[in-house]
Amino acid sequence: MDDWGTLLAAANSGDGRAYTAFLRTITPVLRGVVRAKGATLGEAVCEEVLQEVLLAVHLKRHTWQSDAPVRPWLYAIARYKVVDAFRSRGARIEVPIEDFSEVLPADAGPDPTEATDMARMIGLLDDRAGRLVRMIGLEGASVAEAGLALKMTEGAVRVALHRAFKTLAALRERHLE
Amino acid sequence: MKTDSLIAALAADTTPERPMGRVLWPALVLALAVAVLVVRGSLGFRADLAASLAEPLSVVRFVLTGALGALGLRLALVMARPEGRALSGLLSLALPVAVALGLWVWAYGTTPPEGRQMALVGKTMVTCLVMIPLLSVLPVAAIVLALRQGATTTPALAGFAAGLGGSGLAAMVYAMHCTEDSPMFYVTWYGLAIAGVTLVATLIGARLLRW
Repeated sequence: MDDWGTLLAAANSGDGRAYTAFLRTITPVLRGVVRAKGATLGEAVCEEVLQEVLLAVHLKRHTWQSDAPVRPWLYAIARYKVVDAFRSRGARIEVPIEDFSEVLPADAGPDPTEATDMARMIGLLDDRAGRLVRMIGLEGASVAEAGLALKMTEGAVRVALHRAFKTLAALRERHLE
Repeated sequence: MKTDSLIAALAADTTPERPMGRVLWPALVLALAVAVLVVRGSLGFRADLAASLAEPLSVVRFVLTGALGALGLRLALVMARPEGRALSGLLSLALPVAVALGLWVWAYGTTPPEGRQMALVGKTMVTCLVMIPLLSVLPVAAIVLALRQGATTTPALAGFAAGLGGSGLAAMVYAMHCTEDSPMFYVTWYGLAIAGVTLVATLIGARLLRW
């Protein structure tokens, strides 16, 4: 098993740190892929597409089998979502799978791009779910801190957070039709 | 929202999704159990069911439908994964299909000309064409439901596999009632029923299995 596999296996058995590390590791690679495919759309749109891919990876991470290599699995998800995302923005593209290994990883740059799409989707969540995602994401609150602030138990926060991401993906899907 | 913020929020969500198998197997076993009960309750098993198991042409019905069901199910499990490749699964379908067509031709050749019409149409063509799709509804639904827990990148093909798997198994259950042992009958009408269900499931999959 390679380093990505080790991280994702730990993440899937509930290790939040390993999961953060995994997402941080794959993000520059995925960003490079998205930018290589969607250069004409600009960096901001590419960052939005990247975030959609990350959300999809998150919600489908249980479909990775720990005895399989991570890259083909990850690239298949990325390919599916990138094609979808660009199509919804009126750009039909082909994403041959071989391209992925040749793409250079890309950093967000000195001034990280602010993507607006995800923020808008989060705005469509119900009030509490939206606050929850923003508190944990933007303000760096832990699950426990968010629970205290919103007067919810930790268990309830976890359930609400998970449901929020599933709703975000569903909203996105409806948005595409 | 910056991507780093999104990552922080995603990483805080440690709730695991149910793995596909935990949905698939209970749902499928239940669906098939219901199918068996429906056949037994509404049509009844054929009276000579035990004796018919010594009759190769009769047993072949279970083998062929079971093979299509199992291969369809296996293909569905492969296609449930994002990186799943269909080729070997689709190629493996060629064997039961070729055997079925070969049997049909053989039966046509060995049936006297005046008996062919009877062998083809049988006595229960309508029952067969109605019951196999009806019995397929729950097994196909169970597989599609499980596939939604997966992450197929080819929704229509995954729907195809679900349809083939579910209707193949349903036809196997139906064969416990059916007394038509001529390959001219069962290859034609079982085949048509399975093909119809599979086509519908392909169309449904293309919509329901997107994510």
